[in-house]
Amino acid sequence: MKATAEAGVHIFGVRHLSPGGAKHLLEYLNELQPTAVLIEGPSDATDEIRHLTNRSTEPPVAILAFTEELPVRTALWPLAVYSPEYQGMKWASDHGADAAFIDLPSSVILSLQDAMRRESISVQEVKPEADEAVEPSTEEVKEQESVYSRIARLAGEHDYDMYWERNYEHNLSAGAYRAAILSLSAGMRLLSEGREQLEQPKEHAYNALRESYMRRQILDKIAEGHAPDKIVVICGAYHASALADLSDALSDKELAGLPSRSTKLTLMPYSYYKLSTMSGYGAGNGAPHYFEMMWETMDAGRPEELAHLYLSTLAGYLRSSGTHRSTAEVIEAVRLAESLAALHGGSAPTLRDLRDAAQTLLGHGELSVIADALARVDVGTAIGQLADGVSQTPIQDDLNRLLRRYKLEKYKSTVASELPLDLRENRRVSSEEAAFLDLSRSILFHRLRLLGISFAKNRPSGQDAATWAEYWIIQWTPEVEIQVVESTLLGETIEVAAAYVLREKLQACRSIAEASALIRIACECGLTAQMEEASRVLQSLAVDSRDVVGIAAAARELATIIGFGDIRKVDTVPLTPLLEELFRRGCLFLLDASGCNDEAAGQMIVAMNELNGISLDYSETVDEPLWLQELLHLSEQDNRNPRLSGFACAILMERGAISADEVASEVSRRLSPGIPADLGAGWFEGLSMRNRYGLLSRMSLWEQLNDYINALEDDEFKRALVFLRRAFSTFSPREKTMISELLGELWGVDTEQAAEILTGELKEDEAKMLDDLNDFDFGDF
Amino acid sequence: MSTEQEQLQDYMRLPAEILYREELEALRKEDNGNIPAGWQMSPRSVLTFIAGGKAGNTVITPKYIGNTRLIEMAVATLVTDRALLLIGEPGTAKSWLSENLAAAIYGNSGLVVQGTAGTSEEHVRYSWNYAMLLANGPTPEALVKSPIMRAMEDGGIARFEEISRCASEVQDALISILSEKTISVPELGKEAGARKGFSIIATANTRDRGVNEMSAALKRRFNIIVLPAPTDIETELSIVKKRVAEIASSYNLGASVPADEALLKVVTIFRELRSGMTLDKKEKVKTPAGVISTAEAISLLTNSMALAASFGDGELTERDLAAGLQGAVVKDDDKDKLVWKEYLDNVMKKKGAEWRGLYQACKELNE
Repeated sequence: MKATAEAGVHIFGVRHLSPGGAKHLLEYLNELQPTAVLIEGPSDATDEIRHLTNRSTEPPVAILAFTEELPVRTALWPLAVYSPEYQGMKWASDHGADAAFIDLPSSVILSLQDAMRRESISVQEVKPEADEAVEPSTEEVKEQESVYSRIARLAGEHDYDMYWERNYEHNLSAGAYRAAILSLSAGMRLLSEGREQLEQPKEHAYNALRESYMRRQILDKIAEGHAPDKIVVICGAYHASALADLSDALSDKELAGLPSRSTKLTLMPYSYYKLSTMSGYGAGNGAPHYFEMMWETMDAGRPEELAHLYLSTLAGYLRSSGTHRSTAEVIEAVRLAESLAALHGGSAPTLRDLRDAAQTLLGHGELSVIADALARVDVGTAIGQLADGVSQTPIQDDLNRLLRRYKLEKYKSTVASELPLDLRENRRVSSEEAAFLDLSRSILFHRLRLLGISFAKNRPSGQDAATWAEYWIIQWTPEVEIQVVESTLLGETIEVAAAYVLREKLQACRSIAEASALIRIACECGLTAQMEEASRVLQSLAVDSRDVVGIAAAARELATIIGFGDIRKVDTVPLTPLLEELFRRGCLFLLDASGCNDEAAGQMIVAMNELNGISLDYSETVDEPLWLQELLHLSEQDNRNPRLSGFACAILMERGAISADEVASEVSRRLSPGIPADLGAGWFEGLSMRNRYGLLSRMSLWEQLNDYINALEDDEFKRALVFLRRAFSTFSPREKTMISELLGELWGVDTEQAAEILTGELKEDEAKMLDDLNDFDFGDF
Repeated sequence: MSTEQEQLQDYMRLPAEILYREELEALRKEDNGNIPAGWQMSPRSVLTFIAGGKAGNTVITPKYIGNTRLIEMAVATLVTDRALLLIGEPGTAKSWLSENLAAAIYGNSGLVVQGTAGTSEEHVRYSWNYAMLLANGPTPEALVKSPIMRAMEDGGIARFEEISRCASEVQDALISILSEKTISVPELGKEAGARKGFSIIATANTRDRGVNEMSAALKRRFNIIVLPAPTDIETELSIVKKRVAEIASSYNLGASVPADEALLKVVTIFRELRSGMTLDKKEKVKTPAGVISTAEAISLLTNSMALAASFGDGELTERDLAAGLQGAVVKDDDKDKLVWKEYLDNVMKKKGAEWRGLYQACKELNE
């Protein structure tokens, strides 16, 4: 404190997002008329101040620092309109004073944080919150949480936020804020510094380093010729008392010895929503819009109107969403809030008082009624804005250019909106670009998705076949901005970055399914070169693969791309030979793969369906005769899975590749007496999976089935039941009725009567017989 | 004095202003806050009386354990001369809170309208002594004032219990009282205006049979505070413990106060059945149709203590607890019986050795 008194530098401690602090700061600056305003913030961002104070900049905005090499580390300094720092800069620019950031440069901060993170990982577990954007002061708070709640308890408040708002934000007497913070800071450090030094030596050292760097910067500023008593330093409350003594500043040598990573800085728009979910330090985090209202009423010189404004805005939202609340209730809510404040000896209601009053009066006791409106009044949907071209990365520029070109700028809002796209050519417009506008948009969205930028989310459309239609849900969030900035490392433009990511993925790709998915992604992203590369990868993987299920799935994927590729204006000709090859491999390994158990047979049936579909769709390109021939082999083999053999027979029957006589003899062979139930009934199950009406029209088949079942022993019959039940479970009630009519005819009973008995409710003794089946031993299945 | 004390001891239950007379006197003596017109003490002291604390050297026991913020809101409501409506499920200490608030603020919690389906408008406004009415015609002497009217004349607090059980028309008699703060007596050609300090604390059930919906016009005249079930098991445990001890001493139940373990078991069961899942949130539990409130837990325990004292050796056994639990959970419904059986077999059985005895006892009773 002494050195400052001599030097005369004025320290103004603040909470980072504090309207009261901003208000007092402005009064203080006006009174003092300093020539330099120094602000806690990365000193390499000083050049950004002129952009921040630019007329077209609308807070909330943030300074984002990121490392240039991998792994990307980022740090954020968000500013709202009510941030004292922001108001300080604005004052400086309006009054021709110098404004500068004085904290460690971002290159040092990120490097130090990286080092601290690495050590803490090796020593203890990974802290989940130390993940992405770290607000510089978060660490300071966590260890002092107990101190904060102790202060709140001593003051008789429910939490620290209430205490802070009541005692600092609402305190309007001149100079009180600054003096209170200085003494709070000194007291707090006295309480916690010793312990911190022991328990968190790294954090302690980090803070000490930052402070001595800031002192050094202050001294430099004095050396530049600013009179010490014409310098105001705006810093976090925690540092306020430490910066008072300027004696221990960083020397030149120490300065040069600081670790550093090469970083870049950019400004980015921010949103109140993001601000409200930020962890850590600072008033107003939870309710940025509320604090903006507080700032507005303070700025207009009528802070007492905040409660009226807040509650009537809330009632307005309630009314517009259909819940009527009278003005009388708003008046009573204001009265209750004021009386709650008076109970704590406060001059004005705090946010908590207002919210509780709103719940009692406007929600009639229920929070759920007003929760939605509360979120809108507390948090708000505001998103900041920067002037075009303000320190943007190349990829941001590219994205903005593309958004303009594809007329997507209006979707750049925090409110999610829906955009249906029709990928077909629009023939009513003249230029080619306009004709394929939606296609270009789709390609852009797919590329963003590939880059992990969550700007547009694809909503699966109800119609599978409508490949020309896509539904996207578009929402611009600050995360998107960060993701875009991070993508700068991957390439200068969206296209280059997307191609890079795809190439990386291809190199890591190890399975056919992955490779075929990547081909589709390449196709959706309009990256033809990568598509060819992907097909090479798929081909080389397929050569070594004997997995029919995987091959069939990949072939289906390719077939879809080939079939609908022209809608995306992608040349799919190079894919055709690949499809042929995959199909051939699928056929050749069919017989081998069919020697599987029942569990795997389910997937095989899907694969066979796919291959059959492809052979029908692309009969000129793929080797259809080979497919039929392999099916015939499978159908005739006795040592393969009987279900698959039956299924192969069903396909052949459907396609007319075997004659009725052949089918009849096959059926009688398969269902001849003495064949074990799991083989016979299993085969029938496979057969019945396709082409049902074909089966139903063949009386002889049912005769054979009937004879077969009649010939079974009791035990065998029970085993057969399992397969038959499974086979018939997928039949529709109508089909079941038809079968029972057929059987009725066979048994020589009245067909309708038979149907009635077979499809009607179970009788008691029948139910008992079924119950007895429960004891059946399935051990050997 | 001593005879008065003896007389008081004959009463089953003493009103809060007498039960806590010493605390109230201490608070009044130590009060240095601003006392609103018609109040006995400052709002801060009322808060201390309800939430507990100290007045000089006197320890003030907490009357409502849990969310202090709710009490603050209730007191702040009464400071603004608004009427207060406490809403909650049965057994969430609505009446208890309203009685203690009236005792602290007005010094008299006895001006009560007890709402039932048979409550008529006369109970809310005024009626007549018909013998006098017939003899002398309408005179002020023949007027029988309702508790609400008396509270208005005194500038005190009237309580309206179970307001939602009255017919809607009767409830609506309050509308003009609350907005005009007068009751007009046209027969006498006069109006009874309320003095400063007058207010009404009403209580209402939300989830119960036989309750009437309140009109929007009436709701608008109340500040509505919803009293929740205790948020965590520690709070509920301390409420139950405190009340059981108080009741046991005032009724001279011969049994010893149940051990913490028994309290914990009962509160655990109640919380699990109320919330529909086990405390560790791993398993879903079916909830019975009846209400499983903290008040039920208190009465269950005192009931079990009475059983133990009258028919046992004064020690609370698992059988006594089981009998109480059976009665509390299975109210009238066969479905409740199934719910209870399911809970016993799916949850309680797996709780380990300490629960074995209680499980067996409950199981036997529920057969």
